[in-house]
Amino acid sequence: MNGRRHLVALTIAACAAGSLSACGRSRVHTPERPHDSTVALLPDPDDGVVGKAVVTNASGTADLAAARASTRVQNNQAPGTVTALSEGEAQALFGDLLATLPPKSHHFTLYFEFESDELTAESRALVPAVLRAVMDFPFPEVVVIGHTDTTGTPISNVELGLKRASTVRKLLVDAGLKASLVEVTSHGEADLLVPTADETFEPRNRRVEISVR
Amino acid sequence: MFPPRCLVAGALVVVLTIVPALASAAEPAAAGRIKLASGAVFVVRANAVVPAVAGQVLFEADTLRTGADGRVGITLNDDTRVSLGPGSEARLAQFVYAPAEGRLSLVLNIVHGLVAYVSGRIAKLSPDAVKLETPNAIVGVRGTTLALRVDAQ
Repeated sequence: MNGRRHLVALTIAACAAGSLSACGRSRVHTPERPHDSTVALLPDPDDGVVGKAVVTNASGTADLAAARASTRVQNNQAPGTVTALSEGEAQALFGDLLATLPPKSHHFTLYFEFESDELTAESRALVPAVLRAVMDFPFPEVVVIGHTDTTGTPISNVELGLKRASTVRKLLVDAGLKASLVEVTSHGEADLLVPTADETFEPRNRRVEISVR
Repeated sequence: MFPPRCLVAGALVVVLTIVPALASAAEPAAAGRIKLASGAVFVVRANAVVPAVAGQVLFEADTLRTGADGRVGITLNDDTRVSLGPGSEARLAQFVYAPAEGRLSLVLNIVHGLVAYVSGRIAKLSPDAVKLETPNAIVGVRGTTLALRVDAQ
C-alpha cells in the first residue's frame, strides 16, 4: 500500500521536475510545419442523408451544411470559402476511401410482453433474421443492449436492462449463434426511444436492441 | 420522516455501491475493431508499432497508420465507422461510450492523409462530444458523413 503511494508521489515529482521532457513532451507542438486540411461533408453512403459540420480554428469558422460542401484550411489561416464539390470530384478524391468503410450496422429492436420477462411473439420471430445478418459482416460482433423506461431509479434500470439483454442473449445462443460473438450491455433509462419525463411508464422504451456489426 | 443519521448512512451505502461499479467500468475496454485491412497497416500502441490485421480489437489512444498501399476500415463500439486511405495516420485520442453513466466522448486526431468518418451513437446522443481534429482545424459533427484530407509536409 505504502509502496504504491510512494510510486505515485515519485511519478508526480518526476513530472513536475521535467515538465518539458518526459511527461510534458506530448504537449510541445512542432512549430512552423505547413499544414493543409480539406474537409468535405458527404451524403451518408447508405441513406443519402446530409448532416452538418462546423470547421473551426483560432482564425475562423466555416459551416458545412449541403451535400459535398467543402472547405480548405491552409496553415493557420481561417477555413476558406465553402464550395460544393461535384459528384465526380468527390468520387475522385474520396471514392476509394468510402469503399473502405465497413458495412453499416444492422439494428433490431425487440419488445417484451406487458409486465413480463417474455418477449412478444413478433420479437422472437426476429431471431432468424439476426442470425442471417451476422453472415453479412467481416469479423462480426453482436451487441445486445437492454433499455428501460424512466420508471424506477437509474441504477435499478441499468440492472433491469441487463437482465432483459441477458434473456435475449440466451435466445440467440440457443438458436445457434456462437456465444463468443455476443456481448451484453445495458443503457438503463439513459437512451430512450421515446423521450419522456422521469418516472414515466412507456412500453416503447422497454426494449432490447441488437446491433450486428 | 427519517432521522438525518439514517439518511447519511443510506447515502454512504449508495456511494459505496456505485463507486466500485464505476471503477471497474474505467478499466481498459475495447473501443472498436478493425473490419477491413489491406496492404501495410499498423497499430501504434504504447510506442510499439505492430502490423494490424482485420478482426483486431482497438483501444482508446491507439494510432492507426497505413503505408503507401495500405487501407483500413474500423467500426467503433457505438457504430461509428472510420476508414483510412493510403499513407495516412489517425489516433483515437478519446473514446468513451458509457451512455448509462452519461459519459460519451469521441476525439479522432487526424495526423495526415485521408480519413472518412460516419457518425454513430455518440454523435446522436451527444453531438458536442464528437471532435475530429486535424493539425490546423477542429471539426464538430452534427451527424452523418465526412471525408478529410490532411497534408503535412
